[in-house]
This record gives sequence, C-alpha cells and structure tokens, in this order.
Amino acid sequence: MKTEKEFVKGNEALALGALRAGMNAYFAYPITPSSEIPETLAREFKSPEYPEFKIFLQAASELEAINMVIGASSTGAKVMTATSGPGFSLKQEGISYGAAMELPFLVVDINRVGPGLGNLGPEQSDYFQATKGGGHGGYRSIVLAPNSVQEMAAFPALGFSLAFKHRCPVVILADAFLGQLKEDTTFPKIAQEQFETPWATTGARGAERHVIASLHLDFADQSKHSEHLMSKYEEVDKTEQRSEEYLTSDAEVVLVAFGVVSRLCRRAVKELRAKGVRAGLFRPVTLSPFPTKELKSLVDRGIKKFVVVELNVGQMVFDVRLAVEGKGSVDFIHRLGGFLPASSDIVSRVEMISR
Amino acid sequence: MGQTAGLVQKSMVIIDTEVCKGCSLCVVSCPQKNLKLSEGLNRIGYHPVQFHYHGEKGDCTACGLCYWVCPDFAIAEVRRLKQ
Amino acid sequence: MTTLQDKAAGGYEVKLGRLSTLTGKPTHYCAGCEHGVLTRLIANALEELGVREKTVLVDSVGCSVLAHDYINTDAVQVPHGRAPAVMTGIKKVRPDLLVFAVQGDGDAVSIGLLELIYAAIRGEPITVFLVNNAIYGMTGGQMAPTTPTGMVTTTTPWGRNLKDTGPPLDATKLLAGLEGPSYVKRVFLPVAPMGSTDLYSARGSLEGAKSVLNAFEVQLKGGFSFVEFISTCSVNWKMSVLESKRYASEVLTKIFPPGLYIDKMGIEKK
Repeated sequence: MKTEKEFVKGNEALALGALRAGMNAYFAYPITPSSEIPETLAREFKSPEYPEFKIFLQAASELEAINMVIGASSTGAKVMTATSGPGFSLKQEGISYGAAMELPFLVVDINRVGPGLGNLGPEQSDYFQATKGGGHGGYRSIVLAPNSVQEMAAFPALGFSLAFKHRCPVVILADAFLGQLKEDTTFPKIAQEQFETPWATTGARGAERHVIASLHLDFADQSKHSEHLMSKYEEVDKTEQRSEEYLTSDAEVVLVAFGVVSRLCRRAVKELRAKGVRAGLFRPVTLSPFPTKELKSLVDRGIKKFVVVELNVGQMVFDVRLAVEGKGSVDFIHRLGGFLPASSDIVSRVEMISR
Repeated sequence: MGQTAGLVQKSMVIIDTEVCKGCSLCVVSCPQKNLKLSEGLNRIGYHPVQFHYHGEKGDCTACGLCYWVCPDFAIAEVRRLKQ
Repeated sequence: MTTLQDKAAGGYEVKLGRLSTLTGKPTHYCAGCEHGVLTRLIANALEELGVREKTVLVDSVGCSVLAHDYINTDAVQVPHGRAPAVMTGIKKVRPDLLVFAVQGDGDAVSIGLLELIYAAIRGEPITVFLVNNAIYGMTGGQMAPTTPTGMVTTTTPWGRNLKDTGPPLDATKLLAGLEGPSYVKRVFLPVAPMGSTDLYSARGSLEGAKSVLNAFEVQLKGGFSFVEFISTCSVNWKMSVLESKRYASEVLTKIFPPGLYIDKMGIEKK
C-alpha cells in the first residue's frame, strides 16, 4: 500500500485516490486527456489492495457509461466515471437524471479546449456546464476543483462523502494540464467511509418497495419533489462552500482563480508583492456551491479590486461579480486555445489595474 | 366494489367492472361465449364486461383464457369448484 | 344474472387470481393494449418464481414509463433507451437480483439501439421485453424504426417512404446474429382472428406467458434474454381494437416473423 510519496500524474492520482476511497465500480470510455484514469484502474483491477473495487467495465460510449453508473449507483454502490469535454456533454442527460433521482455518483471532467472537438490543451470552459447544470431542468451538482496532484488524489474521497451525504451527483472539474502534471503525492492509508443507503433499489422487503423515479406526472407531486431538491441545494450552499486564500488579509487587489490557473496566480501574487503591490489570491475549491460567503467577507473587509483569471471567455467571472455585488471592480484576464497565461502577463496586467 | 358474477355452478369469473375498458378481447376469446359487454357504463365511461355462466356456446369451463387476454386485470379471478 | 351468489364460499378454489406482484392500480394503457397483457404475464411469472423480493424493474420511456405503478417490485426509472445500460450497472453490483425492462420499439430500437446491442454482445444476464407496436405510442403516433413501409403516421403522413427512411428494422433478427444472447424470441401477443369463426385465438397470451417465464429462467441461469412481443396500437394506428389485431396478424407477422431465434440453454425443450 502506497503511503510514502509517489511521483504520479494527476489522472493516475485521481484513479488511485478513488480506489483508496473504496470505489466499487467504474464505467469507462476513453477520451484524451482523461484516459489514464480508466487505464490506471484497469491495471489495479483485481489487485488485493482494493477489495472494494469489484467492477470495471468499458462501455460503448460515454452515454452508455453514465447509464451504467446510474444503474450501479441505484444499488447504493460507490460509482465513478471520467471523461473530457465532448464526453461530458454526452453525460449531461445522465447527470440531470442522477440529480432528479438523487443518486450519489462521481463524474470527473478533465476539461480540454472546446467547444466541439477543440484540442487537447487545458481550458476551464466547462465551468458553466458543470456548475450551472449542462443537463436539462433545474438542478445543481456539487463541483470540486482540484489544483494539485495531491488534491486529485484526495478529492474522490471527499466527493463520495459529499455525494452520499447530500444524495446528489458530484463533479470533479480538473483540466488537461492537471491531468497530465506529475507531482510528489502522499497517499494516505485507506480509510473508507461507509454510507447508509436505505433508499437503494435492491429488491422489495415485504410490502415495502422503493421506486427511484424522476417522472412525477401529478404537478403537486413534482412540485414537492422540486422543492425538496431546492432545499437540498440551499443546505449544500450553506454548509459545503470551500475556498482557500493566500495573502488576502492585507491585500488591495485579489486574484480569483481555480485549478491550475490558481497555481500561476499564486506565483504572480509573490511577484507582485516583491514589486510592492499588495496582491492576494482567492481560490474557490468548490465551484458549486460557489464560495460566495468568504468572497463577500473580503469585500466587507474593504478589498475593492478583484481580477479573475480563467482559461475561457468568461464564466466564473460572473459568479465573482455576483458575489462582489458592485461594491468593487472585477477585471478579467483570459487565455484560450490551450495556452496558459505566463505569470508575468498576470503580473503586468494586475500592476496596471492596481494603479 | 362493483364486482359481478353470474349464478355459478362449476366455475365463476370475478370481474372488477370499474377497471374494465370494454376492449372486448375477452369477449372474442371466450370459446363458450360466456362474456358480453354490458349496456351500462362504469365510472370511467366504458361498457364493462359481464359474465354469464351459461354462455351462447356452452357453460364456462374455467379455461382461464379471459384472464390471460385481459389487459386491465378486470378479469380478476377465475374460480372453479373444488374437486 | 348479476347477483353475487357463492354456491358455498368454501366450495371454490381460485384457479387464476390476484397477484402480490401487481399493485392493483388500474393502468393508463389504452383499451386492448398489449402492454397491459404483458404486465399480467410478467407479474404472473414473478409470482410463480417467487422472486418478487429480489426483482428490480427498470422502466423505460414510452408507454411503459409507468410500469412501476402496476408491477409491485423495486423499480428504477431511466432515460429513453438506456435501460440495458442501467440494468448492466445494477446487475454488475448485485448479480443476485433479477433485473428486467419493458421497452417500446422506439425506446429499444431507435434511441436505445446501441445500449441494447452492447448489452446483448456482452451477454449481460438481464432481460429485455420489447413491446413492438410499430409506432411511437406515448408521444402520439410518430414513425418508429419498426413502422411498416407505407404506414401513415404523424411524421409520415404520406406513408413511410422506403427511399427516405429505409425499411423497418427487425431487432430480433439483429440480436439473433450475435453470439452473446442466450434466448431470443419473438411472440405474437395479440388475440388473433381465426379465419371463418368469430372466435379469436388467445394463443399469444399463453405463449407469451411461457416465454416470459423462460426469459427469467434464462437470466437466473446467467444468460441474456430478449423477447419481442408483436403488439398493437389501435389508437395511433387509427383502427378499432379488433381491427388492430387483424392488422398485426396479417401485416406485422410478415415483417416480423414470430419464432424462437436463439435458445442456447434449450430452455424451451424443458
């Protein structure tokens, strides 16, 4: 069992993290840059180190895979699937149903350049799709955004915990860079949380039977169900916001970034500080629920300048603007096509803004 | 509950008239012609089927074909005299 | 004629009666629809096998979407066409459960064709019952992949055109060409007109009952089972109930010949 440091790729770390979290089933479909996840799992399948990992199956499409996930999840098992943008689009139907059916499964999106086939570079353009629901109907998933290989290893366990606690799908939104990045990672010993699943459909018990359905033709029934989902999302919003800050206590300008971009921004903050600019970094860890509370507290503290840095044409920036509520300026730096901005670009732009 | 049964002798067909949709599949399948749609309507607006032990072609034999062709569980039970 | 009169209450035995595997709720199916008949056959088989408490019904999208309202087992309602994939997921985690789906021809043969074929290829120990009424029923009568050439539907008001849409697709034949399935059968389920007499044959129900039982037994023995039931849709075919049985018997059986296509375990020989 790996407890010492391992020098692994993000995708591999995520796979191993899922195994250590006691994942029972994985349904696969290859798509670059996420394929190392199923490949790692296939290698470890049948390993005596992971007795909980009982099912590995490659499906004929991402659509087939997410529906296998729905099936396995309905029995109360810990299930995961991973993909990238084009496949993530295919899984939206399944995620919408999963949310309506209140199933606790994990979907990993290794965000690559889009829309369409795009290319294999990193982007953060699936943010809307993941956080606002790329599937139909009014639902919300919990979305976790790792920014290191260590977090790639840790987030499956966190994801399962949140998924089963709140009975909803959880999306881990990483990016192509993070998926391929290799870093020293410490794998903690396996501590698998057990979850109660009284709702699972595993056969009637006497007169009692469970039906997991998303169709409620009677408007009163459906409205009750929808209100229940709403109150669940409110509860999640109240209790599960997660974020990280760096040097914000005396900052005049705060960068807001998630994923690999937050690493660049951290470096930019150091460089800015060396130049005398009191910069800080706010990193959302949960993209949904968006960490509005903590962000607002920065505004309340008197910080008036925010700079959002994203690899897309502007998605998280809207959530930041909403949180800031017009009490400060929110600028936006972006890079597209698979490029990462150089930290020097961020530095010069923030310097300009802070003057 | 709206069940009807004819004067019974060797067998009896119990019908839940309130779920019958008058599709007449049982009527046309019964070899003895023991079943006929009634003149009256049930609560859902169909002419429910009625059982007549002495059918046009003979007495009911509890063959059960009506039970097997009914799409609505309106033919609820087929009973026969204990041997 | 309408007096309820038990000759002697204890004098009768119930030869065929109410089932614990049915909820008893009246169905939403149209008058004369084979969905109702199949529901009865399924409930009967589950009761006979005594497997109610280890059965999971997977509802598809179409007229069978409310199947769980009638069949009294645990149930999961899934997206259009996806039932075989969902059943695979359930069965992989819980191979001890009996898992089956009732799918319409639109659900299984159009949008769900990939899921159906791959589950069959893998020989997943699941059961699919295909209710083929050659049209999209629940949505109001649009063309289905199984709609006969020339048939008027709401999306082919000119009659289904061979040149544009190709001929109707035979799912049973498609599956019969695969190695994975253990039991592939097509049953003519409706009552069938019998020539000169005005009596209709109920053989479809009886054969259907046996086929459903066989299909479950094949799954319990670890095989993929598939039974297609040629059915009718009088409302969307714009025919009376009995006219639709005649149409199915004269036209559909020629396009979709009933028969036993695969029986790897020899379940029908028992």
